[in-house]
Amino acid sequence: MIDSGVETMSTRQAARSSGFWWANTGLWSGYLGLSLGMGIAYRGNWSGGTLIYVTVAVGLFVGSASIRSWALRHAWLQRDLLGLTWRMALAVVIVAAAIQLFTAAVLLPALAWDWVALPGQRAYYRPIDTFNYWLSTAIVLSVWCALWTGRRALQRARHSEMARLRAEAQRATLEHQALRARLNPHFVFNALNNLRALINEDPVRARDMVTHLSSTLRHALVHTDGGWVSLAEEWRVVQDYLAVEAIHYEDRLRVRTAIDPAALSARLPPMALQLLVENAIKHGIAVHPGGGELHIRAHLDGQGLRVEVDNPVPQAASSEGHGIGLAYLRAQLGIAAAGASSRDGSFLLERQGERMLARLAVRQ
Amino acid sequence: MSRSLRVLIVDDARLARSELRTLLAAIPWVACVGEADDVPAAREAILREQPDLVLLDVQLPSGEGFDVLDGLETVPMVVFVTAYDQYAVRAFETNALDYLVKPVEAGRLQAALERGRERVAAAATPAATNAPRDPLGAEDQVFLRDGERCWFVALGEIRRIVVDGNYARLWFRDQNAVLARSLSTLEARLSPALFFRANRNTLVNLRRVRAIEPSLGDGYELTLDDGSQVEVSRRQARELRERLAL
Repeated sequence: MIDSGVETMSTRQAARSSGFWWANTGLWSGYLGLSLGMGIAYRGNWSGGTLIYVTVAVGLFVGSASIRSWALRHAWLQRDLLGLTWRMALAVVIVAAAIQLFTAAVLLPALAWDWVALPGQRAYYRPIDTFNYWLSTAIVLSVWCALWTGRRALQRARHSEMARLRAEAQRATLEHQALRARLNPHFVFNALNNLRALINEDPVRARDMVTHLSSTLRHALVHTDGGWVSLAEEWRVVQDYLAVEAIHYEDRLRVRTAIDPAALSARLPPMALQLLVENAIKHGIAVHPGGGELHIRAHLDGQGLRVEVDNPVPQAASSEGHGIGLAYLRAQLGIAAAGASSRDGSFLLERQGERMLARLAVRQ
Repeated sequence: MSRSLRVLIVDDARLARSELRTLLAAIPWVACVGEADDVPAAREAILREQPDLVLLDVQLPSGEGFDVLDGLETVPMVVFVTAYDQYAVRAFETNALDYLVKPVEAGRLQAALERGRERVAAAATPAATNAPRDPLGAEDQVFLRDGERCWFVALGEIRRIVVDGNYARLWFRDQNAVLARSLSTLEARLSPALFFRANRNTLVNLRRVRAIEPSLGDGYELTLDDGSQVEVSRRQARELRERLAL
């Protein structure tokens, strides 16, 4: 997970970097072509002029790339506007001076040894000339810096906007799934359907069932803030839940429980036990024509609360995966993957002979 | 409208079946012919009772509702019933008659059954005796399944049936799918007025033939309504002439 993240990051950076080199080369080649053309048009074709333009263009190419890499390495773009501006300005001043020094260092020996020709065979380096040379280079470099920074800022804005939208969409999906896991629609609508039949058949039991169903729904809806509940509270709701399921499955659902009274005050994420029971019924009872027996155990040990639910294994592998309910439970415990554990506890689902055993450990 | 619509209820929960029975009892032209709580019982009941229509729960203990239909020679009309509509999309893809969600609304149920009754009335020929071994006619439907996709197909919709290994591949609408049955078994059950054995490998729906042209060697070349062509062997050519002369 992390490895692949790093890899895509670095490939993306490499791609962006090679894009920059192409663009920068193109840009300064164009600049060189333009200044050569203008120089020849206004001052005539002098080999010394050509040397100056080429040297300055090479200097600008190297200098701009250096500013970029320095700015990236020291994260200038993360700074505020003022911090970024004065750093950029300083870089422009220094780099422009360096480019002019470099040009002079190439031009003066070349002139002295007559490798290149200039009008009068001399270069003018009076202070005002030197300042003019430096200023024109600095202006070009400043424009380059402004363009580069602007482009970068735009990209960053777009990326962060996309990341924000993606995170938002992900959170909405998770919330939706969590609600689905807590308010299992299949369970609710089956219960209502059974209830309608029961109203004709046995009105007293029907009234009881309304109570059980309400309590189950309330528990699922009220505890959405993630606050933990006591096992006693959770167990009361699971009993309501089982009462509703008993009306659906009738004698196909047989439950054996062993809840240690000492464990009742232990705390666990809301719905944790219910999701285990729900899962056990879905995959261990509903798929067997004759139903089966469900075992629910809870006790305390040195580590904390231990809850175990087991059910007959499904006959065929056809029943769908242990989907959103258990994923939600893992998320509640902060467990990343199946079989892993976290600060809060661990959760394990394993086959033992003909039974499927779900083991939940919650640190207290 | 003299005969009542014969309905079978398939659901694993007793109370759900009882609820459907209560709802059906309120409709005078419907007769509930039985209940089943799982796949094998449902298949038995369909074979035994030959219902016109099945109210079929999509999830049963030993399989899906679709498993009830798989491999039946002909399938009754099916209305799927589900607590939650995650399966409904698939039920529609199969062009089942309808689907209902629990708790079932009396009005929706009645509308679905009404549609079933209309279909039965449309299919009924003057001499409709419902004897189980009558040859199958154009209105009888088969259930086809190919991986995740399934269809209810009326025999009249089938263009041709071609040998595919030990089984038969049916071409219908713009689809085709394999039925786990040999071509000769199928031929024996299909109405000879509808399907004709053009050659060793192929049965053709005569109502789907658009053109007949003589071909080399005293045979014929049939063009079907989708443009596909089927060769009629010399042996079958005379049979075809006799069939068409009628």
